[in-house]
Amino acid sequence: MNDLCLDVGYRSLIKYGEQLCGDMVEVTKSEKGEFILVLADGLGSGVKANILSTLTSKILSTMIAEHISVEDCVNTMAATLPVCSKRGVAYSTFTIIKITDNEEAEIIQYDNPMVIMLRDGKLYDYPKTAKIIENKTIYETRIKLKCDDVFIAMSDGAIYAGVEQVLNCGWQRENIAAFIEAAYNDSQTAAVITSLLLEQCNLLYAEKPGDDTTIATVKLRRRKPLSLMMGPPRDPNDLSKMHTAFFSSTGRKIICGGTTASLAAEYLKKPLEAELTYFDPEIPPTSKIEGIDLVTEGVITMSKVLEYAKDYIDKNERYDEWSRKKDGASQIARMLFSDATDISFYIGRAVNPAHQNPDLPITFNIKMNIVEQLADCLKKMGKNINVSYF
Amino acid sequence: MKVTVCIGSSCHLKGSREVVESLQRLVGESGLDEKVELGGAFCMGNCQNGVSVKIGDEIFSVTPETVEKFFEENVKSRV
Repeated sequence: MNDLCLDVGYRSLIKYGEQLCGDMVEVTKSEKGEFILVLADGLGSGVKANILSTLTSKILSTMIAEHISVEDCVNTMAATLPVCSKRGVAYSTFTIIKITDNEEAEIIQYDNPMVIMLRDGKLYDYPKTAKIIENKTIYETRIKLKCDDVFIAMSDGAIYAGVEQVLNCGWQRENIAAFIEAAYNDSQTAAVITSLLLEQCNLLYAEKPGDDTTIATVKLRRRKPLSLMMGPPRDPNDLSKMHTAFFSSTGRKIICGGTTASLAAEYLKKPLEAELTYFDPEIPPTSKIEGIDLVTEGVITMSKVLEYAKDYIDKNERYDEWSRKKDGASQIARMLFSDATDISFYIGRAVNPAHQNPDLPITFNIKMNIVEQLADCLKKMGKNINVSYF
Repeated sequence: MKVTVCIGSSCHLKGSREVVESLQRLVGESGLDEKVELGGAFCMGNCQNGVSVKIGDEIFSVTPETVEKFFEENVKSRV
């Protein structure tokens, strides 16, 4: 292992009028440092395609994890998949991206559009060797990785986007590659890259996709730790313990909550300067303490961050808001979702007497709930999360 | 003279932003920019009676409805 980590983001558009997706992405991470992503696209659409792609992705990810040869994997697949009565074939295309110890990638591709690779933000033409197994041409690649390498796998729904509508030949792979090369910058996460491409496909399809369309992005990035402290400890005697833990951690630091910030300022013997600028009318202004990256109000700001987090792992429709805005919640969202990879929460469980007023919609339970839900969302984003309560 | 408005959670929900904006406008309109400095502060420990506004050591309870009266009576008179 090294100080790098993998960031993954995938999402599908379902063919217009269907309820099930015929593409399937399966991601597995083993304790031995192996990461495997399989994107399978089943023949046809709807239930049949869904079954084919589910079987294919599960079989492949399980067998590849057990270090079984590609030949055996493909043979097993051909023998297992149900034969389509209409077309007389058992068929599902697939792309496998296997990454070992964040150092080497192995890409195995069968009949999906070829994986697009970006290195240093530029398109990178990786070597491929062709192999014939069971009359299928399979492309294999082995490549040493560098930090910020990006792999984008897709189903053919992406390259058919816009066919017979706004484009004669669809959104061809070269077009997609050029689009993402132009749109890419280093701060984009895998989920953001996936969204950029999928939104463009959806647009070309005039929001009525003619085929299931899936984008799966894997990005190798440097680990970035971040610590966030919110709330004073339940037992005031634990304050110095909490402060020692928080301030001795490495990486960026966020403090949420007025009382928490005042106590921290006292500990650091630095002034706490409150600002009065409202970038978002709903979110209280941020403050400054020298040495702390961001100081915000507590529960209102964090509720908003939670809203953004839930959207980000779902449809990612509010990226435009939090990726640009200057209010405290948007700033926290950027630091947590886009930047950090390992996040430690230091949560104080003191009950704020001011918040127990029945007129106010802030209670102790709500606060704890926000932290738990947010930690959950962040885990789904693939972050390492550590929560300590005081 | 420094006038500090609490922007903590409770006071925020009770209308800190409206109070801040009204005070900024009133200070501007009365040409007191040079004399009155507006600032923000976190919790003043007076949440039940928010929005808390502090002048010197004295804490006042102000709401978006009473902010003009507060400005006339307590800010202007002290300049």
